[in-house]
Parts: sequence; C-alpha cells; structure tokens
Amino acid sequence: MSDERVPIQTTQKLMRLMMEYYLGAKMAEGTEQKIAWVTSGAPVELCYAAGITPIYPENHAALCGAQKMSVELCEAAEERGFSRDVCSYARTDFGAIYTGKSPVQGLPKPDLLLCCNNICGTVTKWYQNLQRHFDVPLLFIDTPFIHDEPSREMLEYVRAQLTDTLHALEEITGKTVSPEKLHETLQLAAKATRLWGDTLDLPASKPSPMTSFDTFVHIAPIVVMRGTEKCVEYYQALLDEMRQRVEQGIAAVPGEQFRLGWDNLPVWFKMAGLSKRFSSHKACLVAATYASAWAMPIDAGASNLLEEMARAYLTVYINCGLEERSRTLQTMIDKYDLDGVVMHSDRSCKAYSFGQYELARMLREQRGTPVLVLEADMNDSRVYAEEQVNARIDAFMETLAARGKR
Amino acid sequence: MTSTQLDSLARFEAVCTDPFDLPRQAAAEGRRVAGHMCTYTPEELFYAAGMLPVRILGWTDTTQRADGLIQSYACSLARAVLDLALEGQVDFVDTMVFSHTCDTIQNLADIWRLNLPKMQVITLATPVDIGSPHAVRFYRSELGRARRQLEARVGVVAGEKIDEAIELYARHRAAMRQLYDFRRRHPGLIGASAVQTVALASFLMSKDAHLKMLETLNTELASRRAKSTAPVLPRLFVAGAACQQPDLLGVIEETGCTVVGDDLCTGERAFSMEPAEAADPLERLALMYLSRRPCASKHLAGYNYAKWLLKTAQESAADGVVLLLTKFCDPWAFEYPSLREAFEGAGIPLLLVEVEQHMPPTAQFETRVAAFAEIVGEARKEHAS
Repeated sequence: MSDERVPIQTTQKLMRLMMEYYLGAKMAEGTEQKIAWVTSGAPVELCYAAGITPIYPENHAALCGAQKMSVELCEAAEERGFSRDVCSYARTDFGAIYTGKSPVQGLPKPDLLLCCNNICGTVTKWYQNLQRHFDVPLLFIDTPFIHDEPSREMLEYVRAQLTDTLHALEEITGKTVSPEKLHETLQLAAKATRLWGDTLDLPASKPSPMTSFDTFVHIAPIVVMRGTEKCVEYYQALLDEMRQRVEQGIAAVPGEQFRLGWDNLPVWFKMAGLSKRFSSHKACLVAATYASAWAMPIDAGASNLLEEMARAYLTVYINCGLEERSRTLQTMIDKYDLDGVVMHSDRSCKAYSFGQYELARMLREQRGTPVLVLEADMNDSRVYAEEQVNARIDAFMETLAARGKR
Repeated sequence: MTSTQLDSLARFEAVCTDPFDLPRQAAAEGRRVAGHMCTYTPEELFYAAGMLPVRILGWTDTTQRADGLIQSYACSLARAVLDLALEGQVDFVDTMVFSHTCDTIQNLADIWRLNLPKMQVITLATPVDIGSPHAVRFYRSELGRARRQLEARVGVVAGEKIDEAIELYARHRAAMRQLYDFRRRHPGLIGASAVQTVALASFLMSKDAHLKMLETLNTELASRRAKSTAPVLPRLFVAGAACQQPDLLGVIEETGCTVVGDDLCTGERAFSMEPAEAADPLERLALMYLSRRPCASKHLAGYNYAKWLLKTAQESAADGVVLLLTKFCDPWAFEYPSLREAFEGAGIPLLLVEVEQHMPPTAQFETRVAAFAEIVGEARKEHAS
C-alpha cells in the first residue's frame, strides 16, 4: 500500500457549495429576502421552512480561524472592550463586524437574530450584543440543561417556544408556513443528518477512510444547510465516496496503527499541523463528539413535528450532563475501537470543557482508555503553546505504542 | 469611620469572621443545611422544609484541590467553592442546590455530584429567558420537582409553610432595602463595607435571626440619621457579579469616595425581589424569582443592562461607576463593551477592574481604584465650578 494520502474528491464540491452559500447570502443583502443570524445549535429548519436565509456567525468565525485571520479580528473586538477571556468565536465575529474584514468580506446584515442556548450560555450574551448592535428582533429559544433526563415539562417548554418562534418568523416574512412545508423541510433535515451519521459511522471500518480533521472540514453544510435539497445531495455524494474508499481499502492515514477519539471543538488555526502530527504517529482520529452533534436522529414522521424538534434540540450532547457525556464517549470507544481519546480543553468553550477532567478520569478508570487533555483554543492562536502541545502528543503516542497493541 | 461606632454591627462582623461556624452549629443541632451559590435559589422553599439555607461563597485562600477537577479558566467562585467542598469545609451541607446560572456552574453541579456523593444535589433548571410567556409555568414545574425531591428526604413541605417563608423573606428583603436606602441617602452614616458585611451575614444565618439583628441596626441608624452630616464626597456606584470581600468596597471608600449604590449579587440585587400574589405558593415563588432584578446570565427581551445601569447611576447622582468583573465570568464580561459605550456617551467615568472572588484586594486593585477616584474627584470639581 502506498504511503501517499488520497485526497477526498468531494472537498471540491464543498468549496463550491460554501462559496455559493456565502455569495448567495451576500446577494440577498438589501433585497426582500430576509436574513437571520442563527446559533449553530438552533432549529434552522424553521428558517428554511419560512424562506429565510440563515447565516452562521460561528461557522464564519471558524472560517476566519482556519484562514488565520481570527487573531487580527479578535484584537479589533478587544479594542472595543471584549475580554480576552470570552469566546474567541464571538470576538472573531465582532471583529469582523467592526472591521468588515473576513475571508468572505464579512457577513450580510441580519434582519433578525435566532438564538438557542442549547450549546452554551455564551450565545445568550453574544446575541444580546448583536441585538444591540444591529437593532433587529432577537428570537430566543431557552433549552434547559439536562442534568438527568429531559422531563415532560422541559420538552413542553421548548415545544411552546418553537411554536412562538415559528409564528414570529411568519410575522417577519408576512407569509404563513404550511404544515406540509415544515414537514418537507424536516424530512430533508432528517435525511441529511442520517447521511451525515452514516458517513461518521464509516471510520469504524479499518483502516478508516477519513479522519476527524476531514469531518471538521465537511461539517459546514450540515450545520448551515440542514433542511435543504443541496445539503442532502452533498452528503449523499460524500457518503458514496467514503463507501468507495472503504471498499477500496483507502486509508485516511496510510498504515493506520492507532485509532483516537476527539472531544470538543477543533483547533481551527492548527488543523493541518495537528493532522500531520497525529499522522506521523500513524494515528487516525476516527470519531469526534463535535462532529456527531449534527448527526442527531430526527423522526420526520412524528405526529407532532415541533415536539420532535424540541426533543432533538434539547438533547444535544453539549446540553447534557457529564454522565450522559461519559456514556456517549464510552459508546464511541466501543464502536470505533479506540486506543485513546484526545480532549481539547478549549479556553473559549467553558460549556464544553468544564467536566473534561472528570470525563478523562471516568474513561481511564472505567475503561482503561488513555486520555490526553490538550489545553488550547479553537480560534485564538495567541494562547496556543505549539511546542508544548506537540511534546504532549508525542509523549501520549509513545505511551500508546508502549501498550503494544496492533 | 462612623460605621465602626455602630454597636449593632459587631454581631454581623462576628458571623462573617468564621463564616461556616453558624451553619456547622445548626447542622450539629440537627437542622439540615441547604447550600447554594446563586441568589436565584428559592431559599424560601428550603426554609419551609425546616432547613437552613446557606449561600456558600469562596471562603478559602486556595483552589489547589479544585484545580485538579476544573480548568484554571473557570471563575474563582466556582474553583474556590469546589475547593472548600473537597476539603470537607462544607460537610455540614445536607443538600446542595444548583440553580442554573451559567455554563460554569452547570458543569460544576455535575462535577460536584460525582465527587461529593454524600450530599444530596438538587438541580433547578431556572429559566434563562425570564420574560418568556412560558417561563413561569415551566419554572413552577421545576419548583414542584424540587419540592418532591425534598419531601422524599424531609417529609411533607406544607404550602402554608412556604407562604410563611415567603412572608418572612419579604420582610427581610424590605429591611435590607431600608439599609441600602440609609446608605444611599445618608453617606457617611454607614460604610459600604459594613453594609456588605451585613449582607454576607444574611447568607450564613437563618433569616429570622438575621432580621432581628437587622431591625436593631436599622433602628440605631434611624436614631443617628438626624445627627449625621453628609460629607460631600465623590459618589460611586458599584456593579458586577458577587463581591465576597467587603474590603474591596473598603478600599474604594478609603480613597475618599462613598459608595451610594450597587448592583451586585451580594448586594442590592440579591434583595430586589418583591412578593408576588398567587394562590399557589410555588407559583408565587416562580413569579417572584423571574421578575426580580436580572443577573447578567439571564435573558430578558428588550432589556438593555447598559441603559438600566446608566439610568440607575444617574438617579443615584453617581459621579462614577466601578464594574467589579470576576475574572472568567463570561456573562458580566460580555456586558462591558456596551457599558463602556454608554458611559462614554454620557460622560460618566467607568472603571473595569478584575477581581478574584476569594482573594482580598491586591495592590494593583488599590492603585487602579485610587487613580480612578482621582479622576472622578477632578470631574466632580469641574462640574461644581
């Protein structure tokens, strides 16, 4: 077998799709077409069903991070009073708003904001600031944190807010959303999340056809276009290619020896470097809690669609307590036959990071799984200690090698 | 300082000297203690269950044990309180209540459950969107869940008992507001650090006992009111999350300024609740807690904190505002950009100063506050001339 990495063809399609998406949104600015800025965990299907173009500041921030523009933008936000201790996505985006700079020349202005706090409390504050800046309506969906089980009342609380949100969107566009349209949109979302989930299942085969670094790149459409035909087409193409790679035995990391899991957001500005570092140890990151977050099963055949959405959006990984997170990680260990787990302790994401020390302990004690905790940040390279991170990865991989498996 | 001459203050100071002495005693005497960290915790419910509600702040000077369980970029309140618990300093707690506050506290609740299995933990999914038309109903159901969990431990918690607790707490908050009113209207009568000590003591004591002491203090203050001559000092307003160290306010006063008001969750915000009327006591609690003065961790459609603070500072005739930002407290950090804009626009000096909850004032804090006091004093003179 060759040591050369075989590039993923669908990546070309991704670039076109995302370019079209950002350009299309930009073209809509100033027209009749309504634009909503939404959080990454929000039920975007409501926007698509209402004919509103959703825009994702978080995805945009990641793009800025990957293009190594985030530090400059963070600094612009810090000059306006944003603390260096708050989320670097938020700082990146406010920097882009203040300077107009970004790989896509900034985002089109919103007509409304849609914030769902199922991913963190940071978005609550972030969107309050956006609301003050743009002076447009802010629709808020409050999803209680699930320490144990989601109660009937929690589901009802979220369902009631989804109903209100849908009505508010209808008022903004002046058009009603038919139950058929909502059903159709949800069906498309369900299809796409299933295809994404099927794709994420494939790295269970050995060798893995893709790494988590690949999934981080290919995650964009499922986040921003869930509920559209384009999204379904895209993930069908990606799934087909990945199945082919499995059949042909194409390894994402040629000579794969170690299989690792990843917890928390990517380090956007160090994707290539980290990918190379792990590859050099013949280690493939095969599963990530972050990527799976958008593979949530949605039952588009449910009798009450909003109730089904309430369930799906309330119970995302990051809105659940540590015991549930531990269960998810342990299922991942079995499913992907992991040799170890890498946890990105992300200074910018307190919601995702606090509890990781505990999760690491649980995985070590209950499963004997080695865990590496890397202190870093998703978008702020100023707090990234490269040599230290690399040294820790090398030491961790030596430990795994010493265990003598495979 | 005038306040040191107040006879009834010493008792509050004594309570705060060894903060956990009273709760420990109560537990030893068989009264269950309900611990919590957030003023959104409906203490009335736990008081009605015969428990002693105690707000636990970071009364420790180290976070070494906690550092192994939670990252260093968690706020000092979370780290210090976790450290106290790991050290066994709050073993008197029977039930720890975590009302949803922020990302940090929500994860802390789970870390707590996993590491301190002897304590019962009750989590309350207190709504974030406090103005949602569905919030009261949902929060009412959460309170019902907490009540059932409590009843499994202590027996029936009668509705009349909850109503009684609501009345007691309402009287207590009114008395606290009276104290703050003395501070606002008669600067020099009682200092801000002394008032802060009174507030901190209220978190550690049974409210009936605290109310008695407080009424004595208020009576004493009322009797001195006529004699006090208000010195003309620069007037400052203080805002932020918790302020566990009365000395921080002491430092501000030592610069020759007077604190005329605050929006702190160890200060006026903690006592801003008005009693609500409803047949069902849990609904009363839900209405009260969701309509109190909001914390930065909450969402309320149409509410703009910068506007509120500016208006409040102006109404208090404040010459400047100090924002005590607990390091790594996201909800409050996110308020600063718009605060800065609003106060610059209004020409009122605003000082942002970072604090660690469990640490006494640093030299840097003193320097920055002193420099700020000078700016405010100059501005005041200019206005006067």
